[in-house]
Amino acid sequence: MKNQGNPYIPHTATIVDTWYETGGERCIKTFKVVFDDPAVRESWSHRPGQCAMIGVLGVGESMISISSSPTEEGYLRFSVMKAGKVTTALHQLEAGDKMTVRGPYGNSFPVEEWKGKKILTIGGGIGQAPLRPIVEYVKANMKDYAGLTMIYGARTSGDLCFKNEFAEAAKCEGVCCHLSIDVAEEGWPHYVGFVPSLLMEVSPSPENTIAITCGPPIMIRFVLENLKKLNFADEQIYTTLENRMKCGIGKCGRCNAGHLYVCKDGPVFSYAQLKNVPEAFA
Amino acid sequence: MDLNKLRETAAGIVSREDVKYLIGWRRGTFGYRVSPYFIEDAAGVEELIFSPLCISNLATYLTLVERLPVPRGQQPDERKVALLVKGCDSRAVNQLLVEKGINRDRVIVVGLPCPGMVDWKLLAEKYPETEAPVEMRWQGDDFLLVHNGQEIVVPRAEALAEKCRLCRHPNPVISDATVGEPVQPWEPAEDSGVGEIEAKSAPERWAYWEEQFSKCLRCYSCRNVCPLCYCEDCILDRLNPTWVNRAFNFSENTAFHLARAFHLAGRCIECGECERVCPAGIPLGRLNRKLAKTVREEYGFEPGLDAEGEPFQASYRPEDPEEFIL
Amino acid sequence: MSAMLLPKDKWPEFTGRLAGKNLFAPALQGGIKKFAPVAAGDTVTLDEGNTTVPPKALLFPQTETLFRFAEGEEGMELPAIDEAAVLLGVRPCDARAMAIVDKLFRWDYEDPYYLKRRELATIIGLACSEPCLNCFCTSVGGGPASTEGLDILMVDLGESYLLEGLTDKGQALLDEFKDLLQEAGADALQRKEQLAQEAAAKIKRSVDTAGIPEALPGLWEDPLWQRVSAACLGCGICTYLCPTCHCFDIQDEVEGAAGRRCRMWDSCMYAEYTKHTSGHNPRPTRRERTRNRINHKYSYYVDKFGVIACVGCGRCSNLCPVNIDLIDILRQVKAAP
Repeated sequence: MKNQGNPYIPHTATIVDTWYETGGERCIKTFKVVFDDPAVRESWSHRPGQCAMIGVLGVGESMISISSSPTEEGYLRFSVMKAGKVTTALHQLEAGDKMTVRGPYGNSFPVEEWKGKKILTIGGGIGQAPLRPIVEYVKANMKDYAGLTMIYGARTSGDLCFKNEFAEAAKCEGVCCHLSIDVAEEGWPHYVGFVPSLLMEVSPSPENTIAITCGPPIMIRFVLENLKKLNFADEQIYTTLENRMKCGIGKCGRCNAGHLYVCKDGPVFSYAQLKNVPEAFA
Repeated sequence: MDLNKLRETAAGIVSREDVKYLIGWRRGTFGYRVSPYFIEDAAGVEELIFSPLCISNLATYLTLVERLPVPRGQQPDERKVALLVKGCDSRAVNQLLVEKGINRDRVIVVGLPCPGMVDWKLLAEKYPETEAPVEMRWQGDDFLLVHNGQEIVVPRAEALAEKCRLCRHPNPVISDATVGEPVQPWEPAEDSGVGEIEAKSAPERWAYWEEQFSKCLRCYSCRNVCPLCYCEDCILDRLNPTWVNRAFNFSENTAFHLARAFHLAGRCIECGECERVCPAGIPLGRLNRKLAKTVREEYGFEPGLDAEGEPFQASYRPEDPEEFIL
Repeated sequence: MSAMLLPKDKWPEFTGRLAGKNLFAPALQGGIKKFAPVAAGDTVTLDEGNTTVPPKALLFPQTETLFRFAEGEEGMELPAIDEAAVLLGVRPCDARAMAIVDKLFRWDYEDPYYLKRRELATIIGLACSEPCLNCFCTSVGGGPASTEGLDILMVDLGESYLLEGLTDKGQALLDEFKDLLQEAGADALQRKEQLAQEAAAKIKRSVDTAGIPEALPGLWEDPLWQRVSAACLGCGICTYLCPTCHCFDIQDEVEGAAGRRCRMWDSCMYAEYTKHTSGHNPRPTRRERTRNRINHKYSYYVDKFGVIACVGCGRCSNLCPVNIDLIDILRQVKAAP
């Protein structure tokens, strides 16, 4: 959707619900928001994988992936880790408060192209947030896809996002969930170890499969290595990148990885696109 | 200046296993320019120079070089860094040592007694910059300029840089090796720049600095070149909280310059680099020299003279003047 | 479109009348040459050389308000950008830079602030007759009398100025000054060509840029980047004063219950530019930042917009306090294996 007006002017939206996904200093809070202007609510449309600039007037904006799928109608969801100035301000907001939203920005997962294929998501920590819309989208359109496998891990069980949703999803037909934590905890029934190792443990077949990964840079690097070991072709591997951004619309300059602007050419890239971009995993 | 002797000394240093590189100067790519030069092996010393154009203070590179996290399994590079210093530059090294900004064991200081540097902008009007780099040498008290193949004697007074006219320490105050004979210090000139400011009334001063700070581009070259502006997390870059807005206007620009000036009071060693690099021609030297002068005259303190001494702010004495405290 | 002659004795009247049209021209302000407003009665003297601050500062101000907001108020207040302006004495390189930057600000999402100012500005260029030491416009597709980005090209013919209308906007302005102008003959146009050739011949420094965009990706890990960035101070001079550099930061400022969101020039040479909140920096040292600066101009921009984002004005080489010289870097790129 091309913003016809001034692309720097955000829409205001009201927070209708919030909850904490994780605790600690760098906790993750999820916001469910609804645009104030009915016309914006009407015209807004996004695709899984796109991002939005969300913010607080007087503080600033941050590029955050839209963690709800377009199949979840009537609201947008953002899961935000408390890290810097803007995200700290966002964390102070509660239901009823306002935030600003502009977007949606960037490209998206090619869900149409992927029809008929098995979808494999491999996430780590907050990296599951950009993967959530594809998970929800595939779940809502299960008949179009040959299956959904989710591999997700975090440092501790307390650092896992969307825990209830994983439990729910596991009950659906055609969906497999594999969870992991880095260090053993009492009562943890799932895998203990790093996500790339869990991937080898699950050892998915590359046949008719698309693998999508998002997480800390170091995790992505090892996941890519392991996917290659599992014989995934470059074209079968996707990731979604992030970099520092200010404008979100390809003007301010800073988010490029080599010749690619993450905000406009991305955030979704296939490994085939990225493998020769030297800064992509810098 | 015996360049062969300098190159020989430098070659000896960079050949040592425990030395990472030597920082010196080499001829620039055009005109009067000279470039800071990082020499890693003995072959590199052939381009090393020391001339009246070597005005830049290389001490800033001791702290400017990024310290990246050492990858797992690798040892940090503990080798020494050698650098060439003039008198003023050597005071920066001392001040860094006093502040424990650098480790004495990790630097090799090569002292070069300095007969005075040229401000090439004073020359460019009369002898414009040429595509080929010019050469300059000291000749007696004056400078010899080789310009378009012609040798021209430039009288000292015509081209001497302001900081050198005011210089009180032309000989390095710290060095592990010295190349060249000590120079006879000269009578520092009256600081007419600071005098001009002091002669102004408060409203006139305000108007003066308003004009100067208004033209600041906030390129931060003054901060980055300053050997003593080396905070890892500069207050000016802080976003959370934002102490100084990035917006470009008189008010924010002034906040920037005053924050820097106060942080340098009692620390500035008057190398003049801030003023030299400013693309907007703001006389920052006057600001910093005024504070240095106050510290010198009121407290009898001159930074960067004693590597073992204590920082100005830590050197309180009961008899320190305090009339200005309200 | 017409080519007209302005006799020099009419210059004061010409500039005097232009002054009523929100005129900007090069002037020394506190020792720094930049485009400054011309008031009625001011004398406009166009001398050799270029401004330290490029005229981009008028179209893309160093700081500008995107919008204002206030507590308890719905909606945001936009700044009014509605005043037409005339920029007189813009060098052809700086005008070309505008044409190059236009592509970025028009790309997909249009940037209303820049484009509005651009639309409202009439650019009167001044052909160069005495190139500066570091001018290398002819190496990057420009020239001392290049017209790209200009509405009117002005050439000093000695007794008079030749004024060529290049766009409807430029022509409309010339039409308003018919009483001062006379039709230029073929000899004047010939003289212009000759002067442009003479000026081009005076350009001292050059680099063969052919093949550089293609070569850069292969030189990613070349030792040249360490070599050319070792002395870099990491300051913003080369980028702030570059007529094609357009990167910006966006920040909010609050005073009491009201505030503004503004944008200001930013520089890829600053460490903070790409630093993530986590502390991770994809371009951790001056080496990566210098490499990005050169690649952005000579490779990425070519990739996206089909043109090198450098007009050879030489400001970066001229103003770098530690002699980091773009021409030298490009020569090293050419010489690299």
